[in-house]
Amino acid sequence: MPIGVDEWVAQHAERAETDSGWRGTVARLGTRVGWWPRWGLAVLAGLFFGQLALNVNIQTVAVNCLIYAILAVGLNIAVGWTGLLDLGYVAFYGFGAYGYALFSSTALGTAGSGGAHLQAIETFAIVVVATGIFGALIGLMALRVSGDYLAIVTLFVGQAFFEVVNNVDTGTFGGVNGLFGLDPVHGFGGQITTPKGYYYLALVVCALLVGMLHFLDNSRTGRGWRAVREDELAAEAMTVSTGIVKVMAISFGAMVAAFAGCIFAAQQDNVFPTNFTANILILIYACLVLGGAGSIAGAVLGGILVTAGEQMVSSPTDAGYLFYGLILLALVMKVRPWRLLAGVLAGTVVLGLALHAIVAAISSTAVAGQPGSGGWIGSLVRHWVIVPANAATYGNVLYIVTIVLVFAIVRVRDRYRPFLLAPTIYVAACCWESRLVVNPSITAQILIGAILIATMTMRPQGLLGTMRVEVV
Amino acid sequence: MKVRLTLAAVALTALVAAGCGSSSNSSSSSSGGSSAAASASSSGSGKSCKATIAIEGPFTGAVAQVGLEQLHFAQLAVADDNKANGTDVTLAQDDTQLTPSLATQKTQSIIATPAVAAIGPAGSQEVEAVGPLFGRAGLAFISGSATLPALTTSGRNPTFLRVVPNDNIQGPQDANYVINHLHPKAVLIIDDDEAYSQGLVKTIVPILQKAGIKVNHQTLNGTDTGATLANAINSLVTSQLNPSETVTMLPWQAAANAQQFGLEVAKQHKKTVLFGTDGTNSPSQFKIVGTYVSNFGPDISQSSSALDKQIVSGVAQFGAYGSFGVPTYAAADVEMKAITAVCKAGQTPSRSNVLAQIRKTSIAPAANPLGVTIAFQKDGDIVGQPGYLFKIESGGKYAAIPNK
Amino acid sequence: MHEFIQTIINGLETGFLYALIALGYSMVYGVLKLLNFAHGDVYMIGAYIGYYVLQGFGGPTALSIPVPLLIFVMFVAAALGCGVLGVGIERFAYRPLRDAPRIAPLITALGVSFILENSVLLLFGGFTKSYSTNSFINVNTGGINIGSINIDPVQITIFVVSILMMYGLMQIVDRTTLGKSMRAVASDREAAEMLGINVDRVISYTFFIGSAMAGVAGVMSGLAFNQISATIGFLAGLKAFTAAVVGGIGSIPGAMIGGLFIGLCEAFASTYISTKFSDLIVFGILIVVMLARPTGLFARPALQKV
Repeated sequence: MPIGVDEWVAQHAERAETDSGWRGTVARLGTRVGWWPRWGLAVLAGLFFGQLALNVNIQTVAVNCLIYAILAVGLNIAVGWTGLLDLGYVAFYGFGAYGYALFSSTALGTAGSGGAHLQAIETFAIVVVATGIFGALIGLMALRVSGDYLAIVTLFVGQAFFEVVNNVDTGTFGGVNGLFGLDPVHGFGGQITTPKGYYYLALVVCALLVGMLHFLDNSRTGRGWRAVREDELAAEAMTVSTGIVKVMAISFGAMVAAFAGCIFAAQQDNVFPTNFTANILILIYACLVLGGAGSIAGAVLGGILVTAGEQMVSSPTDAGYLFYGLILLALVMKVRPWRLLAGVLAGTVVLGLALHAIVAAISSTAVAGQPGSGGWIGSLVRHWVIVPANAATYGNVLYIVTIVLVFAIVRVRDRYRPFLLAPTIYVAACCWESRLVVNPSITAQILIGAILIATMTMRPQGLLGTMRVEVV
Repeated sequence: MKVRLTLAAVALTALVAAGCGSSSNSSSSSSGGSSAAASASSSGSGKSCKATIAIEGPFTGAVAQVGLEQLHFAQLAVADDNKANGTDVTLAQDDTQLTPSLATQKTQSIIATPAVAAIGPAGSQEVEAVGPLFGRAGLAFISGSATLPALTTSGRNPTFLRVVPNDNIQGPQDANYVINHLHPKAVLIIDDDEAYSQGLVKTIVPILQKAGIKVNHQTLNGTDTGATLANAINSLVTSQLNPSETVTMLPWQAAANAQQFGLEVAKQHKKTVLFGTDGTNSPSQFKIVGTYVSNFGPDISQSSSALDKQIVSGVAQFGAYGSFGVPTYAAADVEMKAITAVCKAGQTPSRSNVLAQIRKTSIAPAANPLGVTIAFQKDGDIVGQPGYLFKIESGGKYAAIPNK
Repeated sequence: MHEFIQTIINGLETGFLYALIALGYSMVYGVLKLLNFAHGDVYMIGAYIGYYVLQGFGGPTALSIPVPLLIFVMFVAAALGCGVLGVGIERFAYRPLRDAPRIAPLITALGVSFILENSVLLLFGGFTKSYSTNSFINVNTGGINIGSINIDPVQITIFVVSILMMYGLMQIVDRTTLGKSMRAVASDREAAEMLGINVDRVISYTFFIGSAMAGVAGVMSGLAFNQISATIGFLAGLKAFTAAVVGGIGSIPGAMIGGLFIGLCEAFASTYISTKFSDLIVFGILIVVMLARPTGLFARPALQKV
């Protein structure tokens, strides 16, 4: 497979925009430390984290973080490096998980034979190779269509996978009721049963995969992938066999996903079709893009942050810290000079206290409600926010008013902006205390949406991604 | 540019810092809003009875409707019982989106909190996923809607209890009613492709066939919504509903879909008697006159009992009434009463003593909305396993049919 | 025969809705090369606007104005509301990312979708709302009757209004200055900017028109299928995306034909083969189409700029 690469494309890193200021300095210092030492440091940090005496819940979250990190790293091959919009990626994940489930339970073989119950190392090998072949087949389809048309074809693959495990041969795949009671990862006389064990397993797998992919990234194949992403026509002209390169990208990504699927199935001890729906695909994409498509470290970081962040926003107490913390941070970062900042903060506090006093004087029922936040935040804002006794409709109105005010802030001229800030923050806080915090599940989803938009707007290339100069 | 980047970096640091700071006690919340808080102050006895219980359900996502209804009833039960007994119990919400992997995660996080008991999860497949985890933690969980028979018989879910009859009760009840009272020659039965629906169909179809009734079994794609779903329903009416099929059974999760089916039958000038199950039991949404609807809980919206009236009017402060959520009220009520009993005995509520107390539950018919004595069998099923059947009369009124 | 005609009607009813949503998708894709995954949720908001207009005029059983006027007001309100919403979404979630990597706006689109869907859950609750169309429009025997087959007034409205709107859109794109600017921006944004076209404004108008059509489709869906909920948007968006791609993304007649094609495929697959696998069958047909014509049914073979 002769692959020649455009020198300019190959050195794409040279074209990365570097940041100015202290951040750029840090980035340059970072690049001076070699890749492998950084990899070693990250693994050490991971091992250290595992040694902390944390409760089972945090350990499970950590396993999930790593599973999503692996998934994002795998997705990065097709999406970040090769530029193929693969919307069927979740099928590879599910394929891996179901593969593990079939070989580690009573599902295979005739009834009463007891099933396959292979050792983990055999299962992993079979499943990963099978998923790789499955991926290659999908990749072959990808050759015929390109761009967003590929998205549709792969979307079909994801959908088809769900339908198959949900409906076809319910005796083997378990249908909607899934497969459960799977063997834990076992072999060489031992087995892994604790979340901590799975954490280390996932960490080792993740570290090894990242290492291998780093090699691949810097090989002829890796350069071929990036050449296809930058300009397929030029790559072809430079004798890159674009077909093989694309099939390899999807197939390798599938194999990585299969690892994640195996660990997931073993750690969950069950598989269900609904664990592999479009929602999960969205999450994996969010991990990759937020972390920075095209960067392995970005994908890992994205996987960890998105999973941990999702866990955090669904806890009302943490969501409260996040809400007030982000408002405060945004003010501190955005409002200059500091006199103005102090003015806005003082204005917000005074406005709230004054309004609360006025409303309380007019009608005591209008302030009869309790702030939804518990703890010290609740007691702090108690005489500041207005929460009537039956706050549902009131909160809904405030929610809409908040959105309108936020729109207005962005649209008005700079000099009017500070005057709008105080009322906006106050209205948002009242809405939070009266409506949002008492519906933590829905609020969590809204916050996730807002954070996605805010992060992407502030850093479109993702946290660790690099902004490339566009080729015109 | 620089400011923006710094902002992003600092915001993320804060996010992580906040996460480290308090993710260990995740998802404990004050819920029930004002009423729960108000009741805490009204507690008469000097020593307050403090505890947390958690509810798992699909509060967002495709079946948010089902989960939110259950949530509102649970919130009401917690608020009511807090007020009545002077307890200070808070309800933590854990959104599972009906996805087993999310349910597992949320269950781990519940186990990490001081919660002494849990309500839910809604789906049978979720119970399969989380049962062993709750079992290992010794944490009682009562579902108000998971009806798969195997959940209590498999032995995998030692701390699972339910206040609803399982499919082996409801399925035969419905099938026998159809056979004995509606006398069809052929029946169209459509499942909606998820665990609940397929479980019921599995018990209903053999009984009908044994009685010599021809069964036409179809599947509706349960992941569809909106226009796509309507297209499928309309096509089912067009192609599958034959004149001989005088009864159509719809064991579906969503009442609104059954309503759409009924409207389409009328529109295409076909005739069949619909027969829905608990998922479709919703007076505000499924109101095709002449339809039979069974349920795992009673419809208390027309009831004259004082408690039922209080529940129907009380739930309005949280959300709309629907009879699907009534068993969840009972589930929360059982846990609240168990916690109160533990406190009265001078103990601090813990997982083990609340579980033991729940197993001893016996609530008189007049004191709970289910209208039967709530007590549990050894395996976690409700004693007596009541079933309910209604016929929709003109005006959309659900008239109870005494079980035959 | 009866079954065949009924199936065609079922398919067209859904197909026109897909087509209207797909048009917005396709237009936005044309000018921005952006997959607007929040578009389905705009359609959902349209359905809710229609519902509250209906409630505002007394509700389905006690209407205070004549039905044709009511439907007109619903359409206009949903079109305006969704149009403004679409412009706002573009301003906030997409404009800052216009020069970002192509995949970035995909994520903000998902963020918008999360916010819209859950805002509706928060504000209006999880309960499915019903238009109860049959209490103010005679859907069972009104309209055109051919034998035992009935094309009801709602279906007639859908067919007529959809065709009118598509015709209008084609006129706008082909005949007006705005349409010319749109085409210019679609073929080369930077060149258009250099020629003095206000690109931001053109994009805003595109979002307005596309979202307005989705809003009207939302009201139609409420009238035809009664039930609306916060979750109807996602799948509808996905189908519309598929329709736009099958027709040849960026092509307006393509989006229309693509929508109708998918609606009819769905209806025929569920009527004659299986409802269980109808989604798979539809996708299968699409894959075959895609493999046979890799750039869609109607797209001109793309000239690759080198």
